Amino acid sequence: MKTVMKFGGTSVATGENIRHVARLVTQHAKEDCRVAVVVSALAGVTNSLFEIACQAKKSDTKHIETVTQELRQKHLEAISTAIKSESIQKEVTEITEKTICELEKVLTGVCYVGELTPKSKDYVVSFGERLSAPIVWGAIKDYEGETQCFTGKEAGIVTDSNFGEAEPLMNYTTHLIRERIGPLFEKGVIPVVTGFIAANQDGIVTTVGRGGSDYTATILGAALEVDEVWIWTDVDGIMTADPKVIPSAKMLPELSYQEAAEMAIFGAKAMHPRALKPIIEAKIPVRIRSTLHPENPGTIITDAQSVKSTGAVKAVALIKDVAMVNVNGANMVGAPGSYAKVFEVLGKNNINIMMVSTAVSEANISMVIRRNIVGRALSTLEIALLGRGLVSEVTSEDDVAVVAVMGANMKGTLGIASKIFATVANAGINVRMIAQGSSELNISFVVKEKDGAAVVKAIHEEFKLDKI
Amino acid sequence: MRIILVGYGVVGKGVTTIIARRYLEKVKDYGFSPKIVAIADIDGAVINPRGLSPEKLEELKQRRAPTNPISADPDFGHPGMSALDVIESVEAEVVVEVTPVNIKNAEPALSHITKAFKTGKHVVTTNKGPLALAMPALTELAEYNNVYLRFSGTVGGGTPMLEFAKRCLAGDKILGIRGILNGTTNYILTEMPQNRVTFQEALTNAQKLGYAEREPSMDIDGFDTACKVVILANWVMNQKITLRDVDRTGIRDVSLQELDEAAKKGNTIKLIGSIENGKATVKPMEIPKNNPLCVSGVLNAITFFTEYAGEETLIGRGAGSMETASAVLRDLLDIRHKLANRLT
Repeated sequence: MKTVMKFGGTSVATGENIRHVARLVTQHAKEDCRVAVVVSALAGVTNSLFEIACQAKKSDTKHIETVTQELRQKHLEAISTAIKSESIQKEVTEITEKTICELEKVLTGVCYVGELTPKSKDYVVSFGERLSAPIVWGAIKDYEGETQCFTGKEAGIVTDSNFGEAEPLMNYTTHLIRERIGPLFEKGVIPVVTGFIAANQDGIVTTVGRGGSDYTATILGAALEVDEVWIWTDVDGIMTADPKVIPSAKMLPELSYQEAAEMAIFGAKAMHPRALKPIIEAKIPVRIRSTLHPENPGTIITDAQSVKSTGAVKAVALIKDVAMVNVNGANMVGAPGSYAKVFEVLGKNNINIMMVSTAVSEANISMVIRRNIVGRALSTLEIALLGRGLVSEVTSEDDVAVVAVMGANMKGTLGIASKIFATVANAGINVRMIAQGSSELNISFVVKEKDGAAVVKAIHEEFKLDKI
Repeated sequence: MRIILVGYGVVGKGVTTIIARRYLEKVKDYGFSPKIVAIADIDGAVINPRGLSPEKLEELKQRRAPTNPISADPDFGHPGMSALDVIESVEAEVVVEVTPVNIKNAEPALSHITKAFKTGKHVVTTNKGPLALAMPALTELAEYNNVYLRFSGTVGGGTPMLEFAKRCLAGDKILGIRGILNGTTNYILTEMPQNRVTFQEALTNAQKLGYAEREPSMDIDGFDTACKVVILANWVMNQKITLRDVDRTGIRDVSLQELDEAAKKGNTIKLIGSIENGKATVKPMEIPKNNPLCVSGVLNAITFFTEYAGEETLIGRGAGSMETASAVLRDLLDIRHKLANRLT
């Protein structure tokens, strides 16, 4: 069996965790598996790199030393617990010191120039993975695994020059990965590759942005034609609901790619649809599993045909920190282009709309957006549209949450919506807004935030999601 | 429209009152829905990104620094937060700058305004200091940063002298400007002949009535008038001058005797700010009593000499917190209209 294993920030947060990761990897490798490893930065490191880069941009030299000192400390500590062999420890420490030294220089450079372009930001942020990968490599070596460390660039991941959100040139990347890593991988060497970071065709460091290290893992998986990509994290898999809200939530053993993409709103615990792209084509399954419970098989995300049919509803999510914006105006009725105007104003001002609903009466548009930008959205809409005849009122409701009910088999199954809303009504809760796309994979609706948990719970029970 | 209010003196409080009052009417008539998202005072700030409610604004007005500053508000207070931090970190479209005037170096208002520009915020100010000292620089910076700078409250208070010249007289050529632009000095010069008192007595009286400051130099030495002349010259006549370019004489030396002699000729003495033949001047001048410019008490008046429309005179109250606040509202509406065109 051939796998790519990706370990997220929490899985490599400390030296102990890294040692655990190395044990998992080498165990699997010994069971006649070919394993390639993709690692994220140690938990919190990418964020502090991002912050220090922004500080440096303001020509603030003071913090550079403290932050790099902290990073050095953190990684050296990890090395000392993750790796037992002194010679390997020394080797990894040397690499780490060199990398930290380079980081210091880069930050000082940013500081002097007083400028942080997306290009230099990518370079600074890339240090997180460049520091974590050698430690994982050292730990695997310590467990007597035959291994080699690569940056995304060395591995052959070539992207466009859209810094911060680079898109791989998939065919070229596949070609290079097969050339550079393929032979080693086939021989049983464990390649350790930095997640998240890559390079453009000129060798300048880029980052893949949304999807992050998962994306690197699926790119690598597709190129190496593995049997499965395993995303190791700190949860058992994708759940029927947030276990913090619904203690009886169950792990979903199987999901289709399409369903998994719908569940991206579950946030960090699920996969970004972008990261699924490379493997959908190659029909390689992804398994999400927990480093805390490696005995659990986790959730497998795979081609729809091979997902055995289950209930229509698979999962229910509660999306918080959102707000509803309502645009009202009798003059919008029957006026071509009136919706376009509203969306154009928001789009032009860089406000992302998560959910939209309008009735055929056309006198009102309701939208859901992230709560942290509702002030800007409201102000922008008011300034641009009020008092010009089309729109008479713009209002917002902050104290709302979106409930999303998902499942591929909802499509064409009669009575799902009626069952959902009957459940909500029975709980005595008012629905503020509803949206369902014609794909029928997802019904989303808005309720008051205080009712959110109760609604999720009621639906979870109604569709017997705790009994799957 | 989200507004950061910097300065919480009488004008600042007036602005909060005028924005909270008849809110729905503003939305309906002007499509204007102003929200004060932050107020920055000397010792701290109150911040609510969704806008401080009218009730909260009313409640804040009851607080008195230094024992009970607005930043002590339990819900939204940020004690010790500087105005510059507020301007930089709080999201808003407009900064309303109404801190006290300083004509030495225009601070802290000048820094507030430039910070606002740099962070992409439009500015409405009633503060003459920054304009008097650096108006050409500020208009250039505003233009460069693609934001608006409005200041109609600086000249004429609630009386729209600047807009009148800029808008209503558009197309005509303004050849000269003359005005009584300071209420305090006009009150003193009215009092002296009427009640037969000396300059000093009239000043003391004006101070008692609250028309003059305890430190009266700004008014009686003609600085206030000179600041307004600078603003008029820049805005209306496109002359890039600052305070140092104004030839300025105050009213300290005006005697009762001089006033009597003027009266014999049917004239009186007023502190006149003028821009004529490219020269900006502030000095006490004799003018006929029947001249429309000749207003008494704390009133202000201004005459524009135009090529086609002839002489146009505007009379009104030149100061007062609500009057000045109304000018702020006017500026906010103006910016709102300009922004609406830009956002769509």
